[in-house]
Amino acid sequence: MMTATNVLPERRARWRISFSAATSWVLRISIALILVAGVVGSILKDRYSADQWFDLVAFGITIGSVYALIALGYTMVYGVLRLINFAHGDIMMAGSFAGFFIAASMERSGFLDQHPVLAFAAMLAVAMLVSAGIAVLTERFAYRPFRHVRGLAPLICAIGVSFFLQQSFRGFFGAGLRSYPDPVWLRAPVSLFEFNVPAVQVLVVASAIVVMLVLYLIVHKTKMGTAMRAVSEDVETATLMGIDVNRVVTFTFALGGAVGGVAGVFYGLVFKQVYFFMGFTPGIKAFGAAVLGGIGNVPGAMIGGIFLGICESLAPALLLDGLGIPAPYQMRDLIAFTLLIAVLIFRPYGIFGERLAGKRG
Amino acid sequence: MTHQPLLQVKDLHVFYDQIEALRGVSLSVDERAIVTLIGANGAGKSTLLRSISGILRARSGSIKFAGASIEQAPAHLIARTGLAHVPEGRRLFAKLTVDENLRMGAFRRNDRRAIEDDRERLMDMFPRLRERTAQISGTLSGGEQQMVAMARALMSRPRMLLLDEPSMGLSPLMVDFVFDTITKINGEGITILLVEQNASLALQIATSAYVIESGSISLQGSGVSLLHDERVREAYLG
Repeated sequence: MMTATNVLPERRARWRISFSAATSWVLRISIALILVAGVVGSILKDRYSADQWFDLVAFGITIGSVYALIALGYTMVYGVLRLINFAHGDIMMAGSFAGFFIAASMERSGFLDQHPVLAFAAMLAVAMLVSAGIAVLTERFAYRPFRHVRGLAPLICAIGVSFFLQQSFRGFFGAGLRSYPDPVWLRAPVSLFEFNVPAVQVLVVASAIVVMLVLYLIVHKTKMGTAMRAVSEDVETATLMGIDVNRVVTFTFALGGAVGGVAGVFYGLVFKQVYFFMGFTPGIKAFGAAVLGGIGNVPGAMIGGIFLGICESLAPALLLDGLGIPAPYQMRDLIAFTLLIAVLIFRPYGIFGERLAGKRG
Repeated sequence: MTHQPLLQVKDLHVFYDQIEALRGVSLSVDERAIVTLIGANGAGKSTLLRSISGILRARSGSIKFAGASIEQAPAHLIARTGLAHVPEGRRLFAKLTVDENLRMGAFRRNDRRAIEDDRERLMDMFPRLRERTAQISGTLSGGEQQMVAMARALMSRPRMLLLDEPSMGLSPLMVDFVFDTITKINGEGITILLVEQNASLALQIATSAYVIESGSISLQGSGVSLLHDERVREAYLG
C-alpha cells in the first residue's frame, strides 16, 4: 500500500516535466522551421545582389559594434553591483549630444573638414568625459542609496534615472531631431574586398575594436580591473583585501560611461542624427546583447553585440523577405527584441553560460 | 611600563537583527601570540572575527588594534592597518587565477619589487602553488585553496592574521600542513587569532585560548591548561 501511494505523485511529476519539455521542443522546432522556410524562400527569390548582401553584413557589423560598446557598460555594472542600469542607453545619448555639440562647433569653424583625426579625437574625448561624468554622478546620487536594498527598488530607480536624463536633455536642448555633422571624409567610400563601404563604417568598426581591446586590457591586466572582477565575485572578501568598493564602483561606472559615450558618437555618426530619446532603443537592444553574451561577461557582451547587429541587419532580407512579409526593413527592431525574448526563454544564462544571479555567499 | 596587547576587544555586543550573537565578549591578543578561539557551531566564533575585521558592525563595545580604535572603521580601512582576515570557507575569487588572487592580497601596496619578493617567499612556503599560478583558483583542491587563501592574506604583510576554520574539510595530511604553516607564520612574528573546530590541534599550538559559548566567553587560559581542562575535554575534545 505504501509503495502505491508513493509512486503516484512521482509519476505525475515526471509526466509534467515531459509536458513542459514537449511544449518547449514544439516551440524550438517551429522556430527552426520558420527560420529554414524564410532562408530558403529568400534564396529562391534571389532578390539581392552580392553587393547588397555585403552592405547588409557590413552595416550589421557596424551597428553591432556600437551595440557591443553599449552592452559593455551594462555588463560591467551588472557584474559589480548586480544592477541593471537602465539609464545606460541615456548615458550613451548624453555622449552623443556632447560629441554633436563639439562637432557642430568645429564644423562652423571649418576645423572638422581640415583636421579629421584631431576633430574625431576631440569628439570622442568630450563624449567620453561627459558620459563618464554623468554615469558617475547617477551612481553616486541615485544608485548608491539603494546599494543594499533588495528587490525591485533599485531597478525602478534606474528606470527613473533613465526618464530623468531623457527629460533633462529634452528640456535643455529641445525635442527635435538635430542632424549630426557629416563631413566629406566620413562619406567617402572605402573599398574593401572589392566592395565599397562608407568610410564611417570602417572608422566605427576599427575604433570600436580598439576601444574593446583597451577595455579588455584594463579589465584583465590592471590592478583596478582585477579589483573589479574580484568585487564582482565577492564584495565582502574584496573589502577584506583593503579594496574600497565605492572606488571600484565609481571606476566601473566611469569606464562603462566612457565606452557608452564613444558608442553615442558612433551611433550619431552612423544614423546622422541626435535627439533626446535616441538612447532608449539601442539601450534595450544592447542590454539584450549583454544577456545574449552572458551578463557580467565582458567578452560575451562584445560578441553578443556584434551578433545582434548582424542578425537584425541580415534577418529582414534573409528571413522576413523569404516569408513574404511586406516591408521587412521596418521590422528590424522586432527581430532584435524577438531574439532577446528567445534568449531569455532558451538560454537565460547567455551563450557563455554565465549565471544571472545567486553566486554570492 | 604597562602591558599593551596588540588586539583588545572589550564588552562587544553584536546583533543579527534582533538576535544577540555576541553578548559582551572581551578578549585580548598579545603581539606574536597564537590565540585560539574554540566553541560549538553558532557560538559566535565567526561573528567575532567578522566584527573585528569590520564586516559586521558592533552595537556596543570597543575593539582596539595596535593602539587605535577600529570598531567604527570601514572594513577596507581596517584591512589596511595590518589586520588580515582569512574568512571561513577560504572565499577565493574563484574565477581569478592564483596569481590574481595573490595580487588582490597586495592591493593596498605599491612597492612593486617588495611584492615580487613576498610572492617568491610565499611560493617557497607553499611550493604546490608555484606551478599553479596561472590556474583559475576555483579549480584547485580544497587544500590548495586554503594555501592560496593564506598566501593571499600574507601578501598584505599583515601584523596579525585572523584565521577562520583553516582546516575545515581538509585531509588529515593537509590539516597537519596547515597547522605547521600557522606556527611557521607565527615564527616570523605575525600574531594569530585562530578559530578552529579541530580543538585539540588548535590548543596544542596556542599560547592562550578562549572558549566561546552562545555568544560569551565561558573559559579562558593558556592553551595547555584548556587542553587538560575537564569541561573542555568533555565538550570539544571528546
